[in-house]
Amino acid sequence: MDNSSRLRKAPLAWRACAYVIMAAFAILTVFPLVWLGYSSLKPNTEIVQRPLGLPLAPSFDNFVRAWSMGNLGTVLENSFVYTSVATVGTLFLALAAAFGLSKFNFKSAKFYTWAFTLGLMLTIHAGIIPLFLAESRAGLINTRAGVILPYIAFDLPISVLIALGYMKGIPDAIIESAEMDGAKYRQIFWPLIVPLSAPVAATMAILSFLQHWNEFFFVFIFTTKVSMKSLPVAITQFAGRQNTEYGLQYASLVIGILPMILFYVLFHSQLKKGFGEGSLKE
Amino acid sequence: MGLRSHAAFRAHGVVEVVTTRSKHRSYLSFVLPAFIIYAGIMVIPLLFSLGLSFTSWKGYGVMSFAALGNYAKLFSDPVFLIGLRNNALIVLISVFGQIPLGLLLAYMLHRQMVKGANGFEMLIFLPITISTVIVAQLWNRVFSPVGILPTIVRQVSGNRDYVMTIFENKAFAFVPIMFVLLWQHTSLYMVIFLANLQRIPESVMEAARLEGAGETAIFLKIIAPMLAPVAFINSILAISGSFKSFDLIYSMTGGGPAHYTEVMAVYMYNTTFVFQNYGYGSAISIVIILFIVAAIAATKAITKRLNLG
Repeated sequence: MDNSSRLRKAPLAWRACAYVIMAAFAILTVFPLVWLGYSSLKPNTEIVQRPLGLPLAPSFDNFVRAWSMGNLGTVLENSFVYTSVATVGTLFLALAAAFGLSKFNFKSAKFYTWAFTLGLMLTIHAGIIPLFLAESRAGLINTRAGVILPYIAFDLPISVLIALGYMKGIPDAIIESAEMDGAKYRQIFWPLIVPLSAPVAATMAILSFLQHWNEFFFVFIFTTKVSMKSLPVAITQFAGRQNTEYGLQYASLVIGILPMILFYVLFHSQLKKGFGEGSLKE
Repeated sequence: MGLRSHAAFRAHGVVEVVTTRSKHRSYLSFVLPAFIIYAGIMVIPLLFSLGLSFTSWKGYGVMSFAALGNYAKLFSDPVFLIGLRNNALIVLISVFGQIPLGLLLAYMLHRQMVKGANGFEMLIFLPITISTVIVAQLWNRVFSPVGILPTIVRQVSGNRDYVMTIFENKAFAFVPIMFVLLWQHTSLYMVIFLANLQRIPESVMEAARLEGAGETAIFLKIIAPMLAPVAFINSILAISGSFKSFDLIYSMTGGGPAHYTEVMAVYMYNTTFVFQNYGYGSAISIVIILFIVAAIAATKAITKRLNLG
């Protein structure tokens, strides 16, 4: 018997298959990214003549040009503002709503919970036309609020339901004893409920951040100026415009991908937990 | 008013009416901000969309009522039908590609069939964080004439002029997109199945082995059936997600060439925001929702029947 597992080792045929499939997936994931990475350090002529070759004289020239031509500093800032405001906003709105729905025992809580559940079925495309017309009327096109508000709204149903599932597990006694001490509900929320919800809040924030950072449709529809785009959207449009300037395309894509690899490495276990355990609820 | 506040009311009379009222006020102050933002931005526009879908409004002038005209037109619109076919292909690759493959990968990792299973898991899960539109651009570069795939084919086949032409092929233009979908999402299901596999006690597999079951039998007869409910729930999510597909296809091909890679959401976008056909575009968006609702309802019915949930 194998020491690492109490079970016997899998038969050779399975292990051979496993190596083939794992290697195929790993190569298909890593090679395009590595290729993009080193190719972005090559001048255009070299990319065309030796598409797979390593750079002869690596240079960050493409990055410098892509950064300024694509306005990437500005859109990076936009991305941070959109994502962080929307994430923090969603988090606290969802925690507050979940607190209200789980601990107040009013009958209407059932209706609100049902309404949020319904939201899981709606797609961003469903109301986009009236929403676009409304934002145009209200002068919200090309503003940060015009992007952040829909971000929050569309993230709320799932966030409220996750928070609700967690808060049902917080014993009512904790809240009742605080109530006995004469604390008002508003005074319970910040010092008591928010810290108690920290574990679920962390998972919610990471998933929410990822979703908002990578969002495409709202930024695409609700902003027309390049200076208002988010990083992924600006990069996609910039790379799409550079017909044969491959070096610029590659460099801009690397700028879009590198921060996400860093994010992945930092939060790998939380991401795995968040995506994996989402399915564990029976 | 809830039960507890009723009891309190009877016990303490008037004083409690005041506290109950203030409790209700504070309850609403917690729930309403989220609800108003959600309802105002998601639900109310949807209702307007429904209204618009019965008109032939073009963004200006009088709205003329078209009744179900837009909906009738949809199902004889060749472009919409291509979109529908391609959405069905996405369902297919999700349910019969990503999910079984994800299960297989998860099982192989869980059973430690490869050395460095954690490293493989880490690499394979990586695409989850990369923006879909950037994934699309990355693979367009891989498939481009100076990209990885054509270069390798040129070197292997000796045909120095080789470029990929599959995108111009009416029947197969959607295949590269399906490949990228498989590449991007299989690992998500892998992680979901891994989390669920870890909850199956090792004694279950051990007992089967003592009775003489081989690896393949354990996988097919014990593990796969145990994870069937998970696979089923994820199939619904995948199906309803498939109807929403937009980012990858819009960024890779824009639905072209000649609508070969059209999907419903991209067609909705072009109809509305490029051709300003608000009524028709709204009808498409409502049909997308109906497909999603139908998929979820069908699944719920089946779940009840099979007692899976």
